[in-house]
Amino acid sequence: MKVFPDDLLYNREHTWVRVEGDLATIGITDYAQEKLGEVLSLELPETDDSVERDEPFGAIESAKGVFELISPVSGEVISVNDDITDDIGIINSDPHDTGWMIVVEMNDPEELDDLLDSGEYHDFVLREAGDG
Amino acid sequence: MQWRFLPFERLGAFENMAIDEAIFRFHQHEDMPPTLRFYGWKFPTVSLGYFQDVEKEVDIEACRRKNIPVVRRPTGGKAVLHEGDVTYAVVGRDSNPLFPADILGTYRVISRCIAGGLALLGIEAEMEGNSRAPNGDSLKASCFSSPSRYELLVKNRKICGSAQVRSHGIFLQHGSILMEFNPFKTCDVMLPRSGDYERQILRMKQSVTSVSEHTDRAVDVGMVCRALMTGFEKTLGIELVKGELSPEEEEIKAVLMTHKYMNERWNMEGGCRAWI
Repeated sequence: MKVFPDDLLYNREHTWVRVEGDLATIGITDYAQEKLGEVLSLELPETDDSVERDEPFGAIESAKGVFELISPVSGEVISVNDDITDDIGIINSDPHDTGWMIVVEMNDPEELDDLLDSGEYHDFVLREAGDG
Repeated sequence: MQWRFLPFERLGAFENMAIDEAIFRFHQHEDMPPTLRFYGWKFPTVSLGYFQDVEKEVDIEACRRKNIPVVRRPTGGKAVLHEGDVTYAVVGRDSNPLFPADILGTYRVISRCIAGGLALLGIEAEMEGNSRAPNGDSLKASCFSSPSRYELLVKNRKICGSAQVRSHGIFLQHGSILMEFNPFKTCDVMLPRSGDYERQILRMKQSVTSVSEHTDRAVDVGMVCRALMTGFEKTLGIELVKGELSPEEEEIKAVLMTHKYMNERWNMEGGCRAWI
């Protein structure tokens, strides 16, 4: 089973957050990238755009379909990872680190309270994978 | 288990996409039964995949000359010229035990339902098990010219192409079953074209087929829909119960139709922020 880093928080839509002060770096989990398969296309917001918790902040496409990227927090986008728009394969090869997608300046850090820690996310993924 | 069934109706391109997405969106917030919808296209229409670059894939000038609207789907995949086909849409939950947890499992299950329906018409369709790279001189933009996993083929030619979008634990899968196929019409509106038009036509003929080619009697849309309904009911062990859009779905549909699917920017450029 996948190992999900302890220093990240996770939502049930398979995005992770790394928190430093009011800044939240966001990406998709290793479980998500494996489920999607090879990522073919990616759409991300631009700097200064707003994102809302539990709302799409972009979309990703693999041969299997289009998947909306659901934001774990609300706030303003202050940085977008240009490296993954140049080399989209990073999302598959290093989703928890260099495959980060956006950095958001959070409006309400209390939203983090609703997210899962690595152990809880691990259990969630096990349940989801077992659904079928 | 009961599913909601929305019977076949022919509507315009923008309304068709708005309805599919409205069902998908409402499902994300309410405990709705899985929904199966059949529909057709009031006018010949080109639908594009979510991420496709319209300028690289579709001959926009040709579409304008022929009054063929171009609409961008909420789902992935490639461009399709719809004309007389039967399109289906299924909206359900990832966690529905009828569908395996893996994404391709949903394609597989729905393909079995459609194959079961087509079998009642005497058409033996089978799932494409492995991706097949499109031939270099095929129309790469066209959904029907390049079979992908778990789509339906008859004698190795594609009869039904499908695409998905997923969000908040809900999936929308829609796809078209060709009643008839005219490769000239498809080649006339798709890009890129190589210089060898005849070869493109031949390639399309070799890779795409339709219901009319495989039945020795006249089969109309009503017969196809009835057969597909039976295919879904028997394959999944469900009961399809005729229904309609809820008032909330109608409201979502109206907003999506006006602000998204009739929005030139969404259809030409795409992007989730193109219509907000």
